[in-house]
This record gives sequence, C-alpha cells and structure tokens, in this order.
Amino acid sequence: MNWLQIFVTVVTLGSIFGVVTLSLNLQYARGGMINFGIVAYFAVGAYAYAIFTQPAPQGLDQYKFGFGWPWPVALVAAATAALLFAAITGWPTLRLRGEYLALTTFAFAEVFHSFLLNERRIGNGTVGLANVKRPISDWGPIEEKYVFAGAAALLMIATLLVFRRLLRSPYGRALDAIRDDEVAALAAGKSVQRMRRQVFLISAIPIGAAGGLYAMFTTLAQPSLFTAEVTFIIWIALVLGGERSVYGAVAGTFGLIFFEEVVRTWPFETVRSAQIAASVEHIVTGLLFIAVLRYQPFDRIAERMKATR
Amino acid sequence: MLLKRKRWLRLFAALMALSLIAASCGDDEDVATDPPEEQPDGEDPPAEEDPPAEEDPPDAGEVTIGVLVPLTGELGEFGAIVADAIEFGVGEINAAGGTQCGTIRTVVADTGGDAETGIREATNMIESEGAVAILGPTSGVMVALVDLAKREEVVIMSPYAGTITLNELGGDFVYRTVSSDLGDGAASGLWLSSRGYESVAFLIQNEESTISPAEVARGAVEGSGIDITDFVVYNPGQPSYQAELTTVLANDPDAIFLAGGQESGVTVIKEAVAGGFDGEWLFTADLAVPEIFGAVGAELINDVAFVEFADADPSLPEFISFEERYDAAGDPFAPNSFDMVTLVALALEASGQCDGSGVNSVIRGVAHSDGTLVSTFAEGKAALAAGDSINYEGASGPLVFDESGTVSGAYTIQQAQDGEWVNVEFYPASTFDG
Repeated sequence: MNWLQIFVTVVTLGSIFGVVTLSLNLQYARGGMINFGIVAYFAVGAYAYAIFTQPAPQGLDQYKFGFGWPWPVALVAAATAALLFAAITGWPTLRLRGEYLALTTFAFAEVFHSFLLNERRIGNGTVGLANVKRPISDWGPIEEKYVFAGAAALLMIATLLVFRRLLRSPYGRALDAIRDDEVAALAAGKSVQRMRRQVFLISAIPIGAAGGLYAMFTTLAQPSLFTAEVTFIIWIALVLGGERSVYGAVAGTFGLIFFEEVVRTWPFETVRSAQIAASVEHIVTGLLFIAVLRYQPFDRIAERMKATR
Repeated sequence: MLLKRKRWLRLFAALMALSLIAASCGDDEDVATDPPEEQPDGEDPPAEEDPPAEEDPPDAGEVTIGVLVPLTGELGEFGAIVADAIEFGVGEINAAGGTQCGTIRTVVADTGGDAETGIREATNMIESEGAVAILGPTSGVMVALVDLAKREEVVIMSPYAGTITLNELGGDFVYRTVSSDLGDGAASGLWLSSRGYESVAFLIQNEESTISPAEVARGAVEGSGIDITDFVVYNPGQPSYQAELTTVLANDPDAIFLAGGQESGVTVIKEAVAGGFDGEWLFTADLAVPEIFGAVGAELINDVAFVEFADADPSLPEFISFEERYDAAGDPFAPNSFDMVTLVALALEASGQCDGSGVNSVIRGVAHSDGTLVSTFAEGKAALAAGDSINYEGASGPLVFDESGTVSGAYTIQQAQDGEWVNVEFYPASTFDG
C-alpha cells in the first residue's frame, strides 16, 4: 500500500470536502439552518469554473458558452457564482425553519441537478464538461499532485481561519445567541433574518471555490458527480466530527475520506476478491460509522484541541 | 473516564494493528519479483543497476495492468463479464511465459460506474501499483480518465465505452475495442426499418450513451418512411414511468425502441405491458443480459423483444477458436475484453518498453499492419521473437484503430426466445461502410 499516495489524496479531497463541511458547520451549528441541498452550491462552483475556462464549443459539444478565461479568474467566478446562487435561493428559503428549510433546500438542489441533466446548452447535459482546464503545467521539481494537495489545504485552512475569527467575534456570539434563543436575540436588537442570510451568503463563497478546485482536480463537471449523495456524505462527516467545533468538521471529513481511500487502495488481484470487497464495503462502512458515532473520537480530538488553546 | 480512555486506546491500537497488517500485505505484493516461466530467447534479464536501454529487455518480473470495471451498480453484470474475460486473457498470456516485461499481474477495482471513484481508483493503480494500462472503464469513467491517461502516459482501453465524446477525445493513450455508439444507432435503425413497422416510439434514458445512438436510429427510421409517434427522453431512477408511457401508449405504436438501463428498463417494460402494449420491442445493449428475463418475467418479452449490441462475428475463425477455449465467449463484450488485454500484452512485447508510452507507441501497429497474422498472444510472441511484425486479428474481429482510437464494429440482433437471447441477425462491419 502506498501510504504517501493515500496521504496526498486524503489531503486533497479531505480539504476540498472539508471546506464544504466547514461551511455547513457554520450554517447549521452556528446559524441554525439545516441545508440539505449543499451539493448544489458546490456544483455551481464546479460548473462556473468549467464554463469560464472551457474553450468555445466545437464538434459534438452541445454547450453554448465557453469563455476560455484563465484559471484564477474562473476560480473567482466559481466563488461568485455560488454566492449569487445562494442569494437567489436564500431569499425564498431562509424564511423557513427547521425541517421545512431542509426540505426546501433539498428540493432546490434536486431542481438544479435536474436542470444540469436536461439543459444541454449550459453544461452539456448528462455528458457534462470533460477535460476541464488544469492550471498547472510545469511546477519544476514539484509534482502536480502535491501542488493540488497544497492548494486544497490552503483553501481549507483559510476558510477555517476566517470562520474561526468570525465566530469568535461579537458577530459570532450574536449568532450563538440567535441559535440558542431567537426571541431573546430579537429582544436584544439582533436581526435574525438578516444575520441568517449573511451567514448563508458568506458560507457559499468557499463552497463555490471548493467546487472550482474539485472540477480542476477531477477535470470534470458532470451531473453524476453532484448528486444528493454528496450532501449526505458532508452531513455524515459533520456528524462524525461533531457539529459544535470547526476542528471536528475537518476531522470528520478527513476521517471519512481516509477510510474510503484505505479501502479503495487495497490491491485486489482477482475479480472474485474485488467483487467480495465491493459487496462488503458498505457493510464495513456502516459498522464503522456506528462505532465512530458510539465513541465519537473526532469530536473528542476536536474538543481536546479546543481545550488546549 | 480512565476506563473510557483505555477503551478508546484499545480501539485505536486495533486499528493501527490492522493498518500495519494491511501495509505488510501490500508491501509483499509490491516487491513480488517472481520470475516469468521463461525469458524471451533464453536471454538473462539485465542487472538491476543497468539503465534501461531500448535494445535490452526491461527487468523481468511482473507488469501490472489495472482492471477498472463496475462490479456493482447498474452495469455490474457487464463489468463482471469484462473482468472475467480479461482474467482469462491474462491466464493465457502468463501461460505463454508472459511478456518481456514479466508476467501480467492484474489489480481489480470496482467503480460502481462512478466517474470520481474511477479517477481515484485509476490514480491508485498508477501511483501505488505502477499500472501501465487500465482496462475496462465504462463510458463516463473513460471520459473522466482521458486527462489522467495523457498526463500520466498510461493507456486506457475499454471494450464497451461507445460514447461519442471519445470520438473527439480518444486516439492518444485512449483506445477502445468497440465501435462508437453511432454504429449501434445505425444498426438499430437498420433493424427497425427492416421489420415492416408502420409506427415506432422511442423511449430514451437521459444518458449520452443512449441519446446519441437513438438520434442516429431516429434518422434511419425517419428516412425509411416509418412514423415516429414519440421520442421521449426520461430521467432514470423514478419509481414509475407511467407519465412517459401514457403518451407513448396512447399512440399505439407497432414497436418501442427502448434505450435504457437495467433499472429503468425493467420498470418501463413491466408498466408498458401492464398498460396494454402488445407490440414488439428493440432494446439496446444494457438489457442484453440473461438476468433481464428474471427481472422482467420471461413471459412478457418472449418472442416480442429484440436486443441490439456490438458483437463479434461468430463465423470468424478467431472467434470460433476463442469460443473453444473460453466457456463464456458468447457473453456481451467478452471477445472485445479478451482482445483488449491481448493487444496490450503484445504491445508490451513489441515495444521494448515496459510502460504506458511504450504500449501507446506500438499498439496501432500491433493491431493492424502488413505483418504476420496472429490471433493469440503465444503466436504473436513467437512471431515477434522471430523478428517479424505482427497483425493481431481479434476474437471480436479485425482491430483497426481510427484516429480516435476506435475500431469499426459488427452488430448482432438477438430475440427473446424461451427465456434466453437467441441470435437472429448479424450485421458485419462492412454493412455500414460508406
């Protein structure tokens, strides 16, 4: 087993999805908003990056827009697109609470997924956008995969630091107050609606950037990559890591990706053994989730890190 | 508290122990250096310190090929057929002494048909296992791997990825031993036009691999003057397709062309028959598996259902020979899969290099040249050892890669008879020339 390769993949994907989990943590654990459609904002970022870097359509391409812009511009466009999408979807949905908000955000994500599947002029329909531009061609002695892992880790650390700073500020305490008792916060002069919308918009920005990075990493923007399953994985990571701490969100995501990667990296040399492994993978994953939820190791690590500060 | 901490430590220790066992198992496999049964021309392998030189065979030991197929999910049955046929091919290659790079070792992984999983598994195969070629991805995974294959200079090859996207992206490091979906569309159109139908309805799953051939078939059907009552594109994963079927059945077509996956296809067929449809069906390759009879109920489709898929010419001596050696030769894409691994092994033998770029540089020449005609790895190895160039004639037919790394194909139409698929028509590749 190549542990270095596992490490690089875990850092890359763990950081990309870690950004999304951090944003969900901000929305749910601090803003009190249950977002079951978080994959849609991730997808918007990925598609925006792909569309802005993609060359103009040719041959069998069915999409109409391909701007061929440089990757830094496209990455900013990805974050901006997610922000705009959050502004559009947040306006009607954030009037709702609890399970109603959860259902509405889920519905929005499904509508968006269906749009990506059926509207070929934007994202090439079910085929999606392939060969998405990678910004890296020659980094000298550093291999591309390390650059990617570093870029993803930087984005995650930046997100973590910004969110932590935000949550430790008076603004963060106001958020906690709203989460704990809306009526009391209102009585203290805090605008619940406005603050919830702000949190929703702020958290969409890194999700969009992570989506752009994900499109770079996979070189793909396809509807099949952005199903509700991604939302559930992010939620599982959040639950595994413990929802009350930004470190827990990161630990949960990394733990989840690490487990997946270790299982997948195991070299099966016969068809039969690979078939058996494919069959039992979900069972083992489920059992591990139960064990982690029972013992909550990531939550404890996060709490310990918090306590030592 | 102390007790809990101890428990947690025990769990952690157990996990670490498991990790160590995993690492040690993997290490054993990584350093496995079993020599092949024989060296080409009886030459000794070069010493490990020697730099690789073109005229010297590389260090003989093992050469790894990744088998990346869907073993679970909607295409799981096809993935198993492909992986088994590759395993059979590898057995023959290794029985013949392996390549000059050593015996072939396979690493098998399940994609579940998912592109991201495919990328992660392929990366592992290349980075951790040193795979020189990755065989067996489905259309969506192939498209996702194009960039990786070219970047890492590893050959990827599929026996069933008909996607037309590869018509543009394929060619360099990206190959397939099956024709493009456009050929399937032409074959389906030809069949529908020849049945004497007055009206046909099209029910198409919203996938690129089903829409593209359906569009081609529609052109052929329209060209022959048949009325197309509906062309409905549906999204899979629904509990019921009554909404789509209501309009289709209202127009009472003579036949329905169903280009759908196994999950949606089964439901569509059942609901259409329950809704009163008593005409004929033409399915696409996804439903060309025996399991469909159990899933749908053989009585619903016997005699009225046909299926079209890219297939080997059963009259070819290469196919007959393959059929004699391999029990499951008749399974869809089994000959294409066998050809795929044999071609890669012959390319390794011919190139003098034990890496993906070596395979890529000679694979077209191995598949089609003016050299000695061979149909097995052993024949090819002997011809190469004699200094001849070779022309591999596969069990699935002649393999001439076009600019996009795609071969032209032949197609079979089978009919559902007494709970099994039976050949009723064969369209050789020459049918569609010009």
